[in-house]
Amino acid sequence: MKKTTTTTAPASAPAPAKVKVATMWLSGCSGCHMSLLDIDERILELVKHVDILFSPIVDIKIKDMPQVDVALVEGCVNNTDQEHELKMLRERCKVLIALGDCAVTGNVPSLRNQFALRECLSRAYEQTESTKIACIPNDPVVPKLLPKAHPLQEIVKVDLHIPGCPPDADTIWFALTELLAGRTPQLNEKNMRYD
Amino acid sequence: MIAPKKISITINGQVCQGEQGQTILEIARANNIYIPTLCYLKGLTPWGGCRLCIVEVEGSPKLVPSCATPAVDGSKITTHNERIVAQRKATLELLFSERNHICPICPYNKGDCGLQHQGLIHGITGIRYPYLYPALPVDVTGKYFGMDHNRCILCTRCIRTCDEIEGVHTLDVANRGIKNQIVVDMNTTFGASDTCTQCGACVVACPTGALFDKAAAFRGQWTSCQQVLTTCTECPVGCGLKVHTKENRIVNVWGDPDSPVNTGHLCVKGRYQTWAEPRERIATPLVNGRPATWDEALATIKKAAKVKKAEKALLVAPRLTNETAAVVAAMADKVGQTAMFVGTNEAALCAEPSFSEEALRKLQDADAIIVLGAQPSRDNGVVAARIRVAVRKRGAKLLIFHARKSDLDRYADVAANVVSLESKLWNRIKAVLATAQRPAIVYGPNAMTPIGVTVMERLIGILEANPGGEPLLLGLPISPAALAMSRAGIAAVEEVGPWLDAKPLKFLHIVVGDAPDGGASLLEEKHVPALLGQIDCVVVQASYKSALTDKATVVLPSTIWCEKSGTVTNLEGRQLPLRPVVSVSGEARDDKVILESVFA
Repeated sequence: MKKTTTTTAPASAPAPAKVKVATMWLSGCSGCHMSLLDIDERILELVKHVDILFSPIVDIKIKDMPQVDVALVEGCVNNTDQEHELKMLRERCKVLIALGDCAVTGNVPSLRNQFALRECLSRAYEQTESTKIACIPNDPVVPKLLPKAHPLQEIVKVDLHIPGCPPDADTIWFALTELLAGRTPQLNEKNMRYD
Repeated sequence: MIAPKKISITINGQVCQGEQGQTILEIARANNIYIPTLCYLKGLTPWGGCRLCIVEVEGSPKLVPSCATPAVDGSKITTHNERIVAQRKATLELLFSERNHICPICPYNKGDCGLQHQGLIHGITGIRYPYLYPALPVDVTGKYFGMDHNRCILCTRCIRTCDEIEGVHTLDVANRGIKNQIVVDMNTTFGASDTCTQCGACVVACPTGALFDKAAAFRGQWTSCQQVLTTCTECPVGCGLKVHTKENRIVNVWGDPDSPVNTGHLCVKGRYQTWAEPRERIATPLVNGRPATWDEALATIKKAAKVKKAEKALLVAPRLTNETAAVVAAMADKVGQTAMFVGTNEAALCAEPSFSEEALRKLQDADAIIVLGAQPSRDNGVVAARIRVAVRKRGAKLLIFHARKSDLDRYADVAANVVSLESKLWNRIKAVLATAQRPAIVYGPNAMTPIGVTVMERLIGILEANPGGEPLLLGLPISPAALAMSRAGIAAVEEVGPWLDAKPLKFLHIVVGDAPDGGASLLEEKHVPALLGQIDCVVVQASYKSALTDKATVVLPSTIWCEKSGTVTNLEGRQLPLRPVVSVSGEARDDKVILESVFA
């Protein structure tokens, strides 16, 4: 994996340029973002070194997506919009991290891959026990589902995978601090999980 | 027998001793050197299919699977280097890509899964191959366990266990290449299988969540459970149980691999029937059908028991612990009549209780097995498994004499009804037994009928004239503790009805214990519930509701197998411990304690 160009500078030096970070939420449950927030008070330490410029919790439009150093992406790619956004992010970031099982393997959203898309839509909109009016949404505003759900690596180049459902906050913290220190995070059975 | 030649090999620079014929993996494990495995399972024929145990042998250009490669004296082996680890990682990545291994929704995650463990220790974060997301079926038609092909890695541990331990070979692999799949029988389901004995050994053998116990799924990882060793009390074999518990409830029951009786194997009774089926426990004492306190119940009994000694009787189930049996035997002078109720022809089987030492181990080594009047595949699954393995894997002859058909018949050289043995058949029996060196006769209650005894005597006569001589005799009662209780001095009664009718009874105390059917079926067969109306006071000491407890004046709740302590004696004469697995449910008390307070 390509190493980041940024490192934390000595305290005496003038304030270094902060590392620019983006986070993106595709087809996932937001649990990975919750886990990121679970680093608790360490977030104060984190923001000393990074600026979160683009994220579901930052009020910014997709078209204004800035250039960043590190991008954390939660969820898999399920529809045309997500595919477009992910590709855009890939062009604008140096290191792209697949955060969590959905981004890494497809996970629960990929359960639909065993079925034809038409079957899935029909089950969800026409056949559920609570269906009153059977109608599969087809408004042009609604993004089109892709025939299959894709883990990130099937759409773009992924620099680092952090599996877990969700990854532990400590794992995310470890990965981020290693990156800030200019090292490639080494994950193993002690700091990683698949479930 | 010549002792195997000692050999010495070097693994990672460490000199390791072993024996000729041992595999590299066996020697490495014996010397505490770790080699990752998935398809290897101790006790099964090596498969060499998962390729995780590959090692480098100096002088060999290829990596070899250590589980299936016999060690050669003086060879130098490397278990971990860049080349080996890279191949192991690639293998794991292919396994992950091949099926839908979605850890978060699997009941065997968080440490229970061999595949997950290997992925984590090899530091696999993402994989380099496309995920295939195949559409695969899930078979949940089995009563106690299911098969999710999405999680299967085709290690065939289930197949080998089914074939080599249970001996039924229900499972096998179908199709080729990427379409490989584990199948039940000729591609049917567990629910429709006519060979599966539901022993559940395949589930224990499965390294992933592909085979899962329905009652245990999502109730806690077994790796996070406490494990209590106790003894199965469902038949006289006395298998060792390893009970997994969490927060005072049973999560799963496995065989105890260190038990000399069953070496880890169980039948459906011990593995599932005692805990994975809903049954209605009796929570409190009942007086005339209404809940009461122990004091009230005991006071009612005391009052009713003030009758002549000859008007009192104690009838116990043949499933008590040694300690309770001793108390019952000592009560004979306080109660007019004491007896245990047993099945048809079981009394004769227990009349001269003889324990057959080491019988279960010897049975597996027998080269001719005669099953006479017993139904091991119904009543004693582990004995049936030993017989099947001896016949199918070691070429033992099998002769079955029983009125009923059983699944063992298909492996038998001779299967006949004892009443229809003609001279022609006897000639065939003689021919089959002619070469028997280590014969064994497994006999059950029906061997005690006049014709059964005649056949038995004739068979022993044939065997004694052979080079093998006297056969191993293994008496197999159906009732779990009938042999041991008979030895303790408690008389066995088959015809309970006449036994009751012959007495001017006013007070009857029945101990039925924790029989899965409530202990009722054996007594119902003898029309006992109908007779109870004539007796002034009927006390039923039981764990579960049944036709008997419905008829009782007073019902006293007793503890079940997983709440008991004490010992039981199995058919080999081994004293086996019972250990409390969970705390006592409701107000139930131990059988022994209840009897002591009733007949104090």
